Amino acid sequence: MKSQNLIAVAIALCATTVASAATIEMDVNGLVCAFCAQGIEKKLRAYPATSDVVVSLEEHLVAVSTKDGQDIADDELRHALTDAGYTVNGIRRADESLDAVRKRLDEAKH
Amino acid sequence: MSGLLRALRGACAALALILAAPVEAKPIAFANGTTVMAEYGAGTMLEAQAFYAPTYWLSAGGGAVRFDSDITDRTRDIAYVRVNYLAKRWNLPAAQANVFLWGGIGSATGNTFDGNRLARNVGAQADYETRRLYASVKSDLWESPEFSQRVDTMQLGIAPYAHDYSTLATWFVVQARDYTGQIRRGVEWAALVRLFKGGAWVEAGLTADGKPQVMAMFNF
Repeated sequence: MKSQNLIAVAIALCATTVASAATIEMDVNGLVCAFCAQGIEKKLRAYPATSDVVVSLEEHLVAVSTKDGQDIADDELRHALTDAGYTVNGIRRADESLDAVRKRLDEAKH
Repeated sequence: MSGLLRALRGACAALALILAAPVEAKPIAFANGTTVMAEYGAGTMLEAQAFYAPTYWLSAGGGAVRFDSDITDRTRDIAYVRVNYLAKRWNLPAAQANVFLWGGIGSATGNTFDGNRLARNVGAQADYETRRLYASVKSDLWESPEFSQRVDTMQLGIAPYAHDYSTLATWFVVQARDYTGQIRRGVEWAALVRLFKGGAWVEAGLTADGKPQVMAMFNF
């Protein structure tokens, strides 16, 4: 009985992980002016699946987290950044949360 | 035609009351963005503008500009509509360069002629920037049956630190501006401090003659 409870808890934890938010990082060229880069955040926040956005001029990086169980396709993201006037060099899915990305970026500055 | 020009001038004059002075920043900020700008240019030029950009490479809007000659007592007021176009952009890993073109028409009045005149405008700007260095050259031509004048502006800016997306950006800018058409004799030099954060941009300084130059711009 105890082992069955443990298995049930493990399954529940796994299910939670599968349905959790995703973090997507994009390497972007042309990110040199915060005043102009506002258009990127505006574009990405318009997606219903977007939970939060981080833009780093230092690392030439745009990161977006999605809501639980939702995603934004790479093509859509590339299209959004191109429509904002920037060039995307690469897109990757990250294991860490957006808060962890934010912390990593802050630590890289110091 | 004169009624249409009066209505256009009235609308842009109202806009000019809200806004103030010309900006040497990019004429198009970002897609689906509205930009309002105003500048007091050392008593020689006063301008206000508002533009909407449906795409990152096109914006349209209008403004009003006033020129007060330093040479004679000539004044000119122009209320206008304009389209801005991003002709070319280079997105580099740590830099961006742009070429902008614009054109418009307006209604001009002045103290050297009676009534309104249709005025035509064309201009271009090229800029290059990193997070520490900014350089731009701009030329803006106005022509009407009564006058032809051009304003050429060059800016070189340096940032004491590299700003990031959510931090305050600080720049020290040297500007050289030349007017044709009997507006001003000689090149006007100015030293400016530029600050921007989020959607707000302000720039202020003095010309070599000690006259103030102030500009503000907002994106939303």
